[in-house]
Amino acid sequence: MDRRKALQKTGLFAGATLMMPTMLSILQSCKEEKRLDWQPEFFTEDEAKIVSLLVDMILPRTDTPGALDVKSDIFMDKVIARTYDAGGQEHMRSEIAAFNASCEEKYGAAFIDLNESDRIAVLKEAEANSGKFNPGVWGTAVGEQEPIGFYRGLKSMAIWAYSTSEEIGKNVLSYDPIPGNYEPCKPVSEVGNKWSL
Amino acid sequence: MANFNIDAKKDVTYDAIVIGSGISGGWAAKELCEKGLKTLVLERGKIVEHVVDYPTMNLDPWDMELRGGLTPEQKKKHYKAIRSGWIGTDTEHFWADDEANPYIEEKPFLWLRGHQMGGKSLLWGKQTYRWSDLDFEANAKDGNGVDWPIRYKDIEPWYTYVEKFAGISGEALGLPQLPDSHFLPPMELNCVEKHIKSRIEKEFKGRNMTIGRVAHLTQPHNGRGQCQYRNRCSRGCPYGAYFSSNSTTLPAANATGNLTIRPFSIVQSVIYDDQKGKATGVRIIDAETNEDIEYSAKIIFVNASALSTTQILMNSKSNRFENGLGNDSGELGHNLMDHTYRVGALGKVEGFDDKYYKGRRPNGIYIPRYVNIDEASKSDKFVRGFGYQGGAHRGGNAANIESFGAEYKDSILKPGPWEFFITGFAECLPYHENKITLNTDVLDKWGQPTLTIDAEFKENEKALNKQIQEDAVEMLEAAGVKDVLGFDNEHPPGYGVHEMGTARMGRDPKTSVLNEFNQVHAAKNVFVTDGACMTSSSCVNPSLTYMALTARAADHAVSELKKQNL
Repeated sequence: MDRRKALQKTGLFAGATLMMPTMLSILQSCKEEKRLDWQPEFFTEDEAKIVSLLVDMILPRTDTPGALDVKSDIFMDKVIARTYDAGGQEHMRSEIAAFNASCEEKYGAAFIDLNESDRIAVLKEAEANSGKFNPGVWGTAVGEQEPIGFYRGLKSMAIWAYSTSEEIGKNVLSYDPIPGNYEPCKPVSEVGNKWSL
Repeated sequence: MANFNIDAKKDVTYDAIVIGSGISGGWAAKELCEKGLKTLVLERGKIVEHVVDYPTMNLDPWDMELRGGLTPEQKKKHYKAIRSGWIGTDTEHFWADDEANPYIEEKPFLWLRGHQMGGKSLLWGKQTYRWSDLDFEANAKDGNGVDWPIRYKDIEPWYTYVEKFAGISGEALGLPQLPDSHFLPPMELNCVEKHIKSRIEKEFKGRNMTIGRVAHLTQPHNGRGQCQYRNRCSRGCPYGAYFSSNSTTLPAANATGNLTIRPFSIVQSVIYDDQKGKATGVRIIDAETNEDIEYSAKIIFVNASALSTTQILMNSKSNRFENGLGNDSGELGHNLMDHTYRVGALGKVEGFDDKYYKGRRPNGIYIPRYVNIDEASKSDKFVRGFGYQGGAHRGGNAANIESFGAEYKDSILKPGPWEFFITGFAECLPYHENKITLNTDVLDKWGQPTLTIDAEFKENEKALNKQIQEDAVEMLEAAGVKDVLGFDNEHPPGYGVHEMGTARMGRDPKTSVLNEFNQVHAAKNVFVTDGACMTSSSCVNPSLTYMALTARAADHAVSELKKQNL
């Protein structure tokens, strides 16, 4: 898919001249000013910057929208604010702090102040060192689940936030709310991206 | 469809009262109404009218503010049921309030309840299997529990009767241990399931794999629409494509003009008249006004769900029945059973990367019981048996892939790896010591005694689970599945949501609560046809058997009523 089509699908292209500056500001907010353009419910401004940067690195904009385009970070903040109990919120806060502290210890700066190659190194280490989710049966994990840790947990939440957003769910993934029948053996080429529901 | 008559105030006398409107209560209401009895259905919770009261049925994830996530308040309200992993904002309104309706777990036990019109018939798994004489003869043959007072031949015509109305899809296999139903066309296996089926059936003689037999319509049936493969069943189906009381039996009952359904009616007890020697009515508390009201009827069907039914009987005390209605045997509350759950194996399937499917099939595969079905398959490690459910789909957990960034993001938009799993359901023996008792120290929101549940799986169930896992790993490996992982979540009872027993049927009033027509031995105008009545647990899902037993009991009730025997 080319960039123009991707933009059309996100709806951002629909009043192109009006919308483009907004997109630019999203880009700029990450790469230059590092100032938050939304008001978190749960995160502090510093925590929100870390989370926004992480989800942007994990799920960046390509020819399809990235996590920030569909406001995954804002949704994650809302979910933590409204569904986590006090203990869970405190845990999230301490995990972000620990993640940032380890960046400072190893690379001499907070995560958002690291240069790109150091940030990539941090994520590669986190990928290698974070636990993995056990497979599940009917919505429940099976077997003894090892601790997941901050990075994998956040990544999982980011993927969920991203794939269940309306833009991705309707326009990027294959959306079929009322299939009507079951086709048990269909070539992937006739479907394209995976089913969103 | 006309709205339901919910005005029970003007009339307190009926021909029949049905307590509960779930799978068995709905059937009782339909049968009694169709046979001409003015019938009052007492429902503990709210009215849920088919389609009208399914607020989430068409919501996509992004239509829900938290996309399924529960708030701390909702989690507190469902603090027990949440362990099931099934409760989200899409179905939260169909699960009972655990805070208003507490229970004590002497040993871990998950008691899942649906307090609304339709009960758990809105939420059930829809797997529907006939029991066989392997099940009805099991207690007599191996000496556990007491003998069932019926055999397959007694219930066979009633299976056919309820299947024709409910609509059961599936494949006929001609197996004696899993008799065929009166089937609508089966749903289809996907290509990976077909592949694994052929491998397992080739490698293991006597084992079959088939599509689940389910109460989902694969073609229009009795005015209801066929499955649209949305797999949003538990929110209520706008097409009426799966069997629920709301879509199927209660509208039929309502169409007779004989039905009154009274919501917010907490049954306190069944009233027994010592002089008349029979039950004369039901005492309720209005859940909203706390008003006490008595309704009278000639016959009473108690279909409140297994444990709640027995709770009502235990709370129905009279001079004749000091220890609870029908408890001459001392067995009321005992012999609680459930199926074991989430034991099996899973893994990845290679070679089908160019294949996918369309539609979210609310069903999977079934492997019928193959152990202890004859001399050749006899196990020396356990009695009874197990069956498997499972299926293949493209999934995987994208978060586990050790990558991030542009290529990674594009890759996770593609279908994930094929995965296959099977999970067993083992029969649980009826142990006298697995029991519920009335708890007068902990009262519910309406001041009523609650239940203490004291039940556990024992050595036979553990041996069955061990075999389930070993066989599952062996079958998947033989079928060429990769990275096979056996698992046993060691769930305590309740997770299977197949609570059975506590008011069992039997031949002898000294050792059982109900007779062969589900009548309380010593109060023959009281019928129990939900899970409470079960004498053993089989390894297959029980709901179809509740339906058949209910229709059979209702037929008997009306026939006895006409003969003035009740």
